[in-house]
Amino acid sequence: MTHPEDLLADYVDGTLDERQRAVVDAHLVGCSSCGEEVAMARRALSALASLEDEPVPFGVTGPVLAEAGRRLEGRRTVLWERLQWAFGAAAAAALVLVVALNLGGGADPDQDAAREETTAVEAEAGAAATGAGGESSLAFAFQGLERQEGVEYDDAGIVALARDAVPTVTGQAPEAADQGTLAPADDALACIERSGAPTVGDPRDTLLRLIEAEYAGTPAYIAVYAEGPGAGQPADRVVVWAVAVEDCRILTTASLRI
Amino acid sequence: MSDPGVRDEDLVRRYLSGDRTAFAALVERHERRVYNIALRMTGREEDARDVAQDAFLTVLRKLSSFRGEAAFTTWLHRVTVNACYDLLRKRQRAPLLERGGEDDRPVAEPPPVPDHSDMTALSIDVQRALLAVPDDFRVVMILHDVRDLPQEEVAAVLGIPVGTVKSRLHRGRIALARALGVPRSGERPDPTTPSEGTMTP
Repeated sequence: MTHPEDLLADYVDGTLDERQRAVVDAHLVGCSSCGEEVAMARRALSALASLEDEPVPFGVTGPVLAEAGRRLEGRRTVLWERLQWAFGAAAAAALVLVVALNLGGGADPDQDAAREETTAVEAEAGAAATGAGGESSLAFAFQGLERQEGVEYDDAGIVALARDAVPTVTGQAPEAADQGTLAPADDALACIERSGAPTVGDPRDTLLRLIEAEYAGTPAYIAVYAEGPGAGQPADRVVVWAVAVEDCRILTTASLRI
Repeated sequence: MSDPGVRDEDLVRRYLSGDRTAFAALVERHERRVYNIALRMTGREEDARDVAQDAFLTVLRKLSSFRGEAAFTTWLHRVTVNACYDLLRKRQRAPLLERGGEDDRPVAEPPPVPDHSDMTALSIDVQRALLAVPDDFRVVMILHDVRDLPQEEVAAVLGIPVGTVKSRLHRGRIALARALGVPRSGERPDPTTPSEGTMTP
């Protein structure tokens, strides 16, 4: 007897066309072993349906994101060094040109005055740009930087921070938590922003706490955010990012659904 | 956090152009899929964590060479499956004492799944039985029956003909049913023997 093995998977899936299905049906009438296999395959499929997705544990993707940040940072450094080299070469060429012109003609007082004016305008433009960029675009509802000297967090500690923030997000905290002595947060905020943490600047995210402590032996800024789905819906997740104080690379991240 | 309307391939381009958040969005979008394939293939949370990290780090390293000939998800699945095989091979090579048992069959390796309070006894049994199915059959079942990938995509991920996917699917299901202890009678000899899905005399 010839068994239609190559059709049985699709037969169990119910994806055979009518003609093929009729072939298998006819075969099954007289073949108990194929009938038994079809029954077993159906039981296996039914068993597999009991396997539900497991949530991803905390800390799995943090190192990956940190590496992604480091790679971009490395690329920027290389680009910057190349740019500096190119700029240096161009400046040297310009200097050679200026020297050559001066040797040929001597200084022109009018040209010097014009150069000074240009420099003053550039300086003003630079100051304006600094002013515009000096203010952080972060939307936050926290009280300031919490300096926790001598405190070291591990992955469990990061998760605990997320868990502790849940009552604040759900409005079940009895009162505002005492965050101790608070310090100016500008450097820490700039570092979090520089790290590329996707929460920064996202209107769905609200900064709850910003901590300076250590993560796994590395001085770190740790930001705790409430995150919502958008469209004016309330926050449904707490997200924690830890970034290195030294170079703002992402050290780890944790996410807790409320 | 990530806009579902944005294509994976666009996120890849954005990251390669210097947008760090684009890679975070890719990871967020696919981490559950990658982790759960790894969990079902390896049966252990700690191994699944390692596989997921390895897979994403491989993606990161090779992202600049991703030309988009295949869909990003197909490529990601391939990288994930390869990371699973790497780990399973390492596990095979590990000294018996490190594995904490005298039996080197995968099904004997504890614990099979994380001990979540809402995990039913049935799914634990299924996961345990799944580990008794040969790797090449298990991966096909996980991609098609658990992750709902079409057979054609499973074939593309694994680099095998669709006919082989069909054959492995059927044989894997029967192997799983046997491992679950389903009563049987009148079966043909060992259906886990590889076949290319042709008519068998």
